Amino acid sequence: MSGSDRLTSEHARRRGRRRLILRKVLGSILTLIFVLVFNFFLFRVVQTDPIGSLFRGRNVPAETLENLRTAFGLDKPIGTQFLFYLKETAQLNLGISYQTRQSVWDEIVVAIPPTVALVGVSAVLSAVIGTLGGVIAAWRRNTWKDQSITSGTMVFYSMPDFWLGMIMLVLFGVVLGWFPVGGMTDAGSNETGLALLLDELYHMFLPALTLTLAYLGEYTLVTRSSLLDVMGEDYLTVARAKGLRDVVVRNRHAVPNALLPVVTLTAINFGFVLSGAIAVETVFSWPGLGKATADAIRGPDLPMLQGLFLLFSAAVIFFNLIADITYSWLDPRVEEI
Amino acid sequence: MGEPLLSVRNLHITYHRQGGSVPAVRGVSLDIEKGGSLGLAGESGCGKSTLANSLLRLLPPETEVTGEITLDGKDVLTLSPGGLRAVRWTSGAIVFQGALHALNPVQTVGDQIAEPMLVHETADSQDAARARTIELLGRVGLARPRATAYPHQLSGGQRQRVLIAMALACDPLLLIADEPTTALDLMVQAQVLALLDDLKQERELTLLFITHDLSVLTYACQRLAIMYAGRIVEEGPAWGVFENASHPYTRALAAAFPTIGDRSSRMAPSGLGGDPPTPGNLPSGCPFHPRCPLAEDGCLVEEPSLRVSGPGRSAACILV
Amino acid sequence: MSLAMQRRRATAGRVWKQFRGSRQGMIGLSVLAIFIMMALAAPLLADVRELSPVYARAAGNPQWAPPGEFPPLGTDFIRRSVWAQFVWGSRVSLFVGLAATVLTILIGSIVGILSGFVGGRTDAILMRVTEWFLVIPFLPLAIVLASILGRSVWNIIFVIGITSWPSTARLVRAQVLTVKQRLFVDRARSLGGGGTHIVGHHILPNVSGLILANATLAVPISILTETTLSFLGLGDPTAASWGKMLEEAFVNGAMTRNAWWYFMPPGLGILAVVLAFTLIGRTLEEIANPRLGGR
Repeated sequence: MSGSDRLTSEHARRRGRRRLILRKVLGSILTLIFVLVFNFFLFRVVQTDPIGSLFRGRNVPAETLENLRTAFGLDKPIGTQFLFYLKETAQLNLGISYQTRQSVWDEIVVAIPPTVALVGVSAVLSAVIGTLGGVIAAWRRNTWKDQSITSGTMVFYSMPDFWLGMIMLVLFGVVLGWFPVGGMTDAGSNETGLALLLDELYHMFLPALTLTLAYLGEYTLVTRSSLLDVMGEDYLTVARAKGLRDVVVRNRHAVPNALLPVVTLTAINFGFVLSGAIAVETVFSWPGLGKATADAIRGPDLPMLQGLFLLFSAAVIFFNLIADITYSWLDPRVEEI
Repeated sequence: MGEPLLSVRNLHITYHRQGGSVPAVRGVSLDIEKGGSLGLAGESGCGKSTLANSLLRLLPPETEVTGEITLDGKDVLTLSPGGLRAVRWTSGAIVFQGALHALNPVQTVGDQIAEPMLVHETADSQDAARARTIELLGRVGLARPRATAYPHQLSGGQRQRVLIAMALACDPLLLIADEPTTALDLMVQAQVLALLDDLKQERELTLLFITHDLSVLTYACQRLAIMYAGRIVEEGPAWGVFENASHPYTRALAAAFPTIGDRSSRMAPSGLGGDPPTPGNLPSGCPFHPRCPLAEDGCLVEEPSLRVSGPGRSAACILV
Repeated sequence: MSLAMQRRRATAGRVWKQFRGSRQGMIGLSVLAIFIMMALAAPLLADVRELSPVYARAAGNPQWAPPGEFPPLGTDFIRRSVWAQFVWGSRVSLFVGLAATVLTILIGSIVGILSGFVGGRTDAILMRVTEWFLVIPFLPLAIVLASILGRSVWNIIFVIGITSWPSTARLVRAQVLTVKQRLFVDRARSLGGGGTHIVGHHILPNVSGLILANATLAVPISILTETTLSFLGLGDPTAASWGKMLEEAFVNGAMTRNAWWYFMPPGLGILAVVLAFTLIGRTLEEIANPRLGGR
């Protein structure tokens, strides 16, 4: 290393990075395929008679059921069925819900925006507030600020998120009546446009607050730990020696280095955007994917569960990939030769 | 001759830790004339880096510092935070040990060199700062493209040059070089030393050179001060102290002159047995007596103060 | 007593002494002790018959009675004593949490040790499997498995164990790799020690500290997962945990009635136990890695 010149050309670095990204994308696709295999075979094992379950309790002649079975290829060997499953999944044909008898995909699609809105907002808020808290806690370590931030977030992180939601709902919704007790909009209202949006935000306040409080602890802990590691580094002393103010040393030199793991964490957590609020959505009757999951459990509506699981997994895989790529962008030390 | 650029009087530095207090520097006084160069030598733990950091008040806040430090006429220890920040890097700058850790890994070296220029407004604009950065890099022997490199992409020698360029960014009056050649190959060491010498002459820099390698100092400095257990035990003109040491410790250090080309002799412990004392646990009397070949009974009783041992020279030994 | 045993005894003694000196550790331990004692002493604290709705009705209990009216914790929607449910529910919650963690640690450690020690192909395959599990969203997977397997305590324990082992496996593997690099393993090999001997005498002792700290931090996850699964209706209907209490409270309208005595105690119980384990785990981590102390 000494005496040699390791400054590779920009060109080579970019090429190396592209190779890295390609490898990661292929890895993610492979994982997704494993998920599809798992999904198919697991449910296959349990659903011994999907057609029968679909029409349970209905008076359908046996002959019709048999025809349906043939139509769905249920008499073919399992390998063929798997390929059929892959083909259908690629076309977003995820089956029929046992409970509503509607297309699983249609049911899911409708539930995506409410969940993305709720969990997206909460994820951003908990990331921002949690990180800020972690920075303060580390910079002023072992003072009362640090202790209260660390203890407070730990307490919230240690309780079931939906229980916190129940408390919020009862306290602010039932007892104080400041917020609605459920749903995304007021049933029976005809609002549109801005008024509708405001109403939805109004309904979203308590569940979003619950999720934010429950999960900011993770960010606080990681940021604090990371920043404490950085604070021991020499280059901070050098920065001070140059005559920089304490705040500038912190924000320009310490925090950027400390944030690298936090960024990865944030990106990964966004992957859980879709599946992160199952219990909380249930408490607040928020019409998203979480509530759909809870409802599907009560069936059990296996096609719905299958479809939801696939969607959740795909989201996580996708965001893990984004997290990986983002990190390699941000940290100049990551290179692939 | 006028006032010395740097004047330290009776400096005491004590670290306060959970286990207790550790006196790292115990009554050090020294002067450096403008344009002069002082070498500060000693083994690890003798307090020289602590001393260097204290000159710009870079020690942790819980550290107790008493005495007087006057730099360019200003009393460093009593400056306000704003005044201190103004003095840092402009009156005095430090070239830190070139480990990867002295540079911010996620910032280009060019940005790190330009940063103090913009903070102290010695450059009028971003462009001026950039131009000056490239100029400085050139002066230390690094090509223009290096400015956009990240620290991990450079070799040890190149990083050391970056640190030198960075220290010169605001044209400081005093340059404190803290172990700048440690952990570098012999050939690279020679290059860095030559560079420092050139810069010193070119810019009339005042130099405080700190190292544990005595041989390096005789080349780079006019005067020499040897530190042991937090105090200066010998002081004088560089060659004089080296060739004809008054203090037994200096004699031992000088005798460990490495042979060029023989790496093992550079790494070998100075022909002196034993280890330097831990700052919190000093022997009675003269702290050097356990390892001193000339130790007498009187050495265990009282710690000797610096006394004149020749023209412009002093040493802290009862045998002087 | 062999030298190794003596040394291990001494280490345990030292660890305990350090633990005793830690305030957060002792608080955690005390709280945990209280709940364990409560779980064990359940028959003494509350009559198990009070869990039966038939008995409750026959006893003439009021419905939805607040604590003032029916001490100590009131009644629920079918007249059962909440206090009895709380006391007896602690058994299920604690048992499932601990058992699931044992399963997690067992699988995780075996995979981690195998992977790290054997290396090569085995390692590559096991690591792929581990990574796959880590990518899959944990709760949906647990829900899917629980829905398919049915509602029983053992299924829940199995499901949690099956979905939580990967992070333990990764940690253990890393530690095994570190230990493997140390010279004495090679020396043991050259002295003729076979695989099992090396694993048992050299690797396990050096990894067990990490496993213990990891286990104490894994229990909270197991407990919270069981609570969530029960809340969603996947819990064992015959073995009511605190999570199940919350489910029944929610489903039967405890919130609209503000029957706080029904849903507050189980939540507080979970919070207390989870915090206790977290504090203990953090204390153990600090002891194992003194660098973290004072942070």
